[in-house]
Amino acid sequence: MITVSSLLDDHWFERYKKIARLNIRSSIYDVTDRCNLRCKGCFFFSSGEHEVASEEKDISKWHGFVEKEMERGVNLAILIGGEPTLCLDRVEAFYKRLPTFCATNGLIKVPRDRFPDMMVGLSLWGDAEDEQLLRGKDTFKISSANYAGDPHAYYLYTITPKQLGKTEKIIRKIQDVGLKVHMQLLSNDEEVDGFSWQPDELIAVRAEMDDMLDKYPETVISSRYYHEIITTGRMLGRPFGWMECPSVTEPIDKREPRPKRLTNFIRWSSDLHTMHRCCTSETRDCSTCKDGAAHMSWVMVNKRAHIKTTKDLQNWIEVYEMFAKLYQFIPW
Amino acid sequence: MSKDISRTITRIAEILINELKLEDVTPETFDPDLDLVDEVGIDSMDMATVALFLRDEYKIRIDEDDYPKLTTVRIIARYIDEKLNSNE
Repeated sequence: MITVSSLLDDHWFERYKKIARLNIRSSIYDVTDRCNLRCKGCFFFSSGEHEVASEEKDISKWHGFVEKEMERGVNLAILIGGEPTLCLDRVEAFYKRLPTFCATNGLIKVPRDRFPDMMVGLSLWGDAEDEQLLRGKDTFKISSANYAGDPHAYYLYTITPKQLGKTEKIIRKIQDVGLKVHMQLLSNDEEVDGFSWQPDELIAVRAEMDDMLDKYPETVISSRYYHEIITTGRMLGRPFGWMECPSVTEPIDKREPRPKRLTNFIRWSSDLHTMHRCCTSETRDCSTCKDGAAHMSWVMVNKRAHIKTTKDLQNWIEVYEMFAKLYQFIPW
Repeated sequence: MSKDISRTITRIAEILINELKLEDVTPETFDPDLDLVDEVGIDSMDMATVALFLRDEYKIRIDEDDYPKLTTVRIIARYIDEKLNSNE
């Protein structure tokens, strides 16, 4: 029988043991239906998710809701939008009880006296030109001023096809303000002209992401295997898609046969009752989905499938470590 | 070690081998002291699957909170044994 230690040397075995029992159980929460930006391609608005339910305004209900989520086994709250920082009292309901990650455009600074160690993910969609085109504003100027040097913040850099050849400039800018960066790819839900990935562009962006990881290992939080999976949509010969994805809301999951490797995931609407189909847009075609977290989770829940060769298992460890770093389960 | 525990160990090993599709090992050669997380690589989803089989077979409930302490086949066998004895 192949055992973990038979595939790994002491160094890798120690790394494995640090993450093997983390048992991360995340769910995603829309904190509000509102945002202070309206980005082209934002799945939340393009698929009408802001209109499916009215947000719960009674803060005591948010506190009770988080307690129930903890009873369900959730040990990581991922807060998304609209823009969560518009409703910091709701964010606090999670942060007081759970490891909490807050995705934000960074225009509002999370007060660190109130949220001293909450991990903040700052969305960034490219250089100033693309930011202006897609989001109507160069957010980097503001978000970097708000969060420069913050050890509990990093950039979530959504790479678009227009960014090919330009990523290094962005990574350097982020490095210069003393922050880390995690790269992901745009899923062009609104079909903005020129922002859909072509096969040759996916090959090129994979090489570019690998290059950035090699050149800026202290700044870029990523792994080559993640780059491979997200650009090819394949893991161990299996294609990503609806029947494989672990980030489908379990109580409304009607897949048949239902995948075995699920983690009680739910994506909640801000009314605290309505559930969204999955971690991203309900209207998205799963076969072309580029959601980074969904692809990471896909790797993470398939550990035993990676206990075949040393390289496969090392790949799995690197992806799990990346996820654990991004959500503060292990240090940078 | 009692015969009952020995039988339980073999049966748990058999369930693990079948459910996790472990290769090159039999219920008889499976080391009952092998760490299931550190060495076999099982996770809580695997454990939930195995727990369902054990529940049906031994008519006991295995709480999810107990998963972290069920680290080897021998420990699981003792856990089942204790549950069965406390039901008597």
